[in-house]
Parts: sequence; C-alpha cells; structure tokens
Amino acid sequence: MAAPSAAGLCRRLRAWLPRIMPVRWSRYNPSYLEPEVKKESYQKPLEELTEEEREQMDLKAVRPIKAAPPTLSSSVFSDPMISKFTNMMMKSGNKVLARSLMSQTLEAIKRKQVEKYHKAPENEKETIECNPYVIFHQALKNCQPIIGLSNITRGGKTYQVPVPLTDNRKRFLAMKWLITECREKKHRRTMMPEKLSQELLLAFNNEGPIIKKKHVLHKMAEANRAYAHFRWW
Amino acid sequence: TLRLVCTTTAVQRKNVGASGPEKYTEAFIKKQIEEFNLGKRHLANMMGEDPETFTQEDIDRAIAYLFPSGLFDKQARPMMKHPTEVFPEQRKIQWGEDGRPFHFLFYTGKQSYYSLMHETYEKLLNVQKHQDQLIAQDLPLQKEKRNLAGSRWLTKIELEEMLLEKLSDDEYSRFIQLLQKLAALPCADIEETYIQKFSKEVPVQLQKVVIEPLQYDERGVAFSTGEGKRKTASATAVVYDNGTGKITVNGIDILHYFPVLQDREQLLFPFQFLGRIGKHDMVCTVSGGGRSAQAGAIRLASAKALRSFVTEKEVEFMRQAGLLTVDPRVKERKKPGQEGPRRKFTWKKR
Repeated sequence: MAAPSAAGLCRRLRAWLPRIMPVRWSRYNPSYLEPEVKKESYQKPLEELTEEEREQMDLKAVRPIKAAPPTLSSSVFSDPMISKFTNMMMKSGNKVLARSLMSQTLEAIKRKQVEKYHKAPENEKETIECNPYVIFHQALKNCQPIIGLSNITRGGKTYQVPVPLTDNRKRFLAMKWLITECREKKHRRTMMPEKLSQELLLAFNNEGPIIKKKHVLHKMAEANRAYAHFRWW
Repeated sequence: TLRLVCTTTAVQRKNVGASGPEKYTEAFIKKQIEEFNLGKRHLANMMGEDPETFTQEDIDRAIAYLFPSGLFDKQARPMMKHPTEVFPEQRKIQWGEDGRPFHFLFYTGKQSYYSLMHETYEKLLNVQKHQDQLIAQDLPLQKEKRNLAGSRWLTKIELEEMLLEKLSDDEYSRFIQLLQKLAALPCADIEETYIQKFSKEVPVQLQKVVIEPLQYDERGVAFSTGEGKRKTASATAVVYDNGTGKITVNGIDILHYFPVLQDREQLLFPFQFLGRIGKHDMVCTVSGGGRSAQAGAIRLASAKALRSFVTEKEVEFMRQAGLLTVDPRVKERKKPGQEGPRRKFTWKKR
C-alpha cells in the first residue's frame, strides 16, 4: 500500500499548511473538462484514433465541459501562443491596445521579410520565411532556456543550483525576456511594434540580446554544476 | 456497589455532550410511524379526501392550509413528514449487556470504515493471488476494459450515509484510491459485484436538452431563437436561414456596434465552427454588461439557436467545443477588511 500512501502524504502535508497555500479556486466544478476548439479534431474518422484518444472521447461524452473563453476561437487567426503573449504585454487590462500592438508587430515583421524577399537574388528567395506566425513561433523556441537556476539556502549560504524547467516555465521565461528587453532597452521615440519585430527577427536567426541572455544562463548553470546535488525534487 | 462520599461539583456534573446525539430506541420509532399513519388518515378525513390515496404532497398542502405560517425559513414552518425523514438513521447499540463490543474494530472509533478498508484490501490480495495463479499456468489475463467513463464512484456524503459514520476528506480519498487500484487490475472481473456496490451510473447523454424544432415566418424562411447570458449581459438571437451572413445587434450592424475585432470574432465563432458563415442571417437584442460580456452572451444565444439547424452529432461537437455552456464566472465580491476581492490594504508598520 506504499504507492497510494505516498501521494496521499504529499496532499495531506499540503493541506496542513493553510497559511502557505494560495486561495486559488474556480467557479467550475472540478469535474468540468477543457473545451477543444479546433475543427480538425472533430473531423477525424473513428479508426484513426489511438486507445488514449478513444478513452478521452468517451470521457468527454459523459463529463460537462467548460465554456470557451473569449480569447479562444476556431478561426485560423486565433493562436494560443499569440494570445498568451498578448496577455503578457497587456497593461492594466487594456486588451485592445495590446492586441493592436501585436497585430502591428506581425505586420511589421511581414513587411520587413517581404522587402528582404524582393531584394534577394533568385537562389536565396526560397530560404526567406515570410509567414510572421512561423517566425514568431521559431523565435520563441530559440529563446527558450533548457535549464534554469534556483536559489537554495544551505547552512546559511544561498547557492544558485541548476534545475530542469517545465515546458510552461520555459515558454513564460522566453516571453518575459522578450517583453522586458523591448520595454527597457529601446529609445524613447521608437514604437513597441518596431522594436519587437526587430527582436523577433534577430531571435529567429539566433542572434540578438535575448539569445545572449539565454547563453549566459546556460553558462552559469554549467559553472554551478557542482551544486546540482543540492536539488531534492 | 461503592459510592463516592466526598465528591466535587466537577465530578457530579454530568457531561451532556459526551454521550452523543439522542439515541432513539426501535420501539420509539415504531410508535412514531404508527402515530404518523393514524394522523395521515385523520388529516385526509378532515380535508374530505380518500385516506387510502393520500400522498405526501397532499399532506404538505393540507398542513400549509391548516397552519399558515409567514416565517421565512421553510424548515421553521410546521411540517408533517414520515419519521424516517425526521429522525436521522442511527446505529443500534454496539455492545452487549456485559459492555463488551460486538465488532473487533470498535475501539478504533470508525469501525465500519476500517472494516471496509480491510475488506477491500482482502479482495485486492485475492485478485492478485488469482492473477499469480493464471501467470503460473501461462494462461492469458482477461483484458476486458471496464468502461470507466460511464460510472462514477460514490461521493463522500453517500459513503457516509452508507457507513453511518462521519469521514474526513483524507479517509475518503484513501478509500477511493484503493478502489481505483482494485479496479485497475486486469483480473478485477472476479470482484465486479463488490466494486459495483461503490460505483454509480452516470447518464451517458449529458446533453438531454430538448432541441426546439424550426419555426417558419410569413415569407417561408426557417428561423429559430436562442437566449444567452454572460456576467450581467443577456441576449436573445434570432437566426434566419437562406441569408447572406448579415448580423444586426439592437438595430445596428456589428461593424458599428462592436468596433473591437475580438468581439466580432466571438460572434462569428459558432458559424465558423459549423462552416455556415454566409448561410445565415442574425438579428439580436442585447442589454446589460460590458462589450465583452455582450459578445459572449450573443455567442451563447446564437449557438443555442443554431442547434435546431444542425444534426445531433454536430450539437455534441459544439458542446465539446464549449459553445453551449453558460460561463459561470462573475465578478468576485469585495470582502470587509480588504480593499478589493483579493487585494489587501497597504501594510503599514506603524
């Protein structure tokens, strides 16, 4: 009976520390599942589904489903990564401004790439990527760190210990670095879309200050390899 | 028998709470049931109705008529119910005349819960032994997947009613984990009857909502209505067939009413999901809420109206895409002693 008791112990410990637990609750019953908006997933015929997908489908047929949030839509233009980035760029709930900045950024990227495309010689024309969504995704992927550092205090001294990062954390760090870089390191007169498109194009080609920051982090982690055993999770 | 000569008031004072809630004897409950049945017949006589076919609803109506009460709380008004509903189900005395308890786990405090855990674990060991026997004989293990989606485990309250004991959340979760472990084993079919005692059928078709048939107006065009709510906004939408894709809100075109792209995207979401963008016309009225809430309300209303135009399978797809659920998120109330729903006042050292 060791397996169920271990998980139960963790939960019990967590429930026992009331002050430290944040009050995070949702208006939905815990049995509600997340909605699936993409049209393609509903058009797959039954035979192509794997075992897990079939189980998921059976579960979805029985359980209630949450309402789709206003940022999510089945159109080709709605992208979860772009919405996340827009939300992080938003200040004081001004979603209209954040969204317009994002669309201006994507437009600026497209313009720059199309200009480059028209100026390039014939043999290089195929290598130039014009789709701003592809550029955005690739740039974010290039900015994501593989390993992170966390502060662990042992015997009075605080050490920087290399620690693996989850996917969500990597994405969040990449987006956060992009936004802070564009907000602080620009001239007062340059507009945000311009600066952002510049940084995204640099990150797409694995150049620029954010990629440098990522490499610095990796080097620090490599230097502190000796303390890796301090991690207990 | 010895009797204490010098006592203190503390010893003499009887601890009223220690014996637990009032215990009702079986004879007492029987007498209550007889009195209830007799009273039911008298009441039926008084009201001039047939005593044989006097149901509980008739009793409630009669009591409300004879003893009108202006009290707010329904539980405080006079009521006449069957004694099994009034007196909670209790355990009989668990020990014999000599004071020795019947059950060997009596002194744990929760004898039925622990005996249940022991029983379930015994079944688990049984199944594992059977599995080992099958492996020893090189026979294939039965791999019929039990349909987990169609059933759910008993809730904590139902389990408490079954065991007649209070449980903590932790104990309940431990029991459920054990049951899941038992059900997940390949040879669990042997103990199927035991597991079924603790599982309940969930209605497979969650969307047992009646889809209204299409209505036809004077020109012969099919249309259907739907209503939707989001935060404080409420909307009604009328979707017409054979249209060009024009959408009108409160008499104004959507391009003028919703200048923000996100809201227009939300309005078109149900149509785009079903692939019917240019085929329907929509006229909606909306009031209350802000711009995003109104857009969400119209989206729900149009999705509900589109159900009548579309096959059942597509309705199920719409439900799984989250188009047909009412969004329950509302503004959280401000609490006293805090500045907002979550934000606390600035902490000042002095």
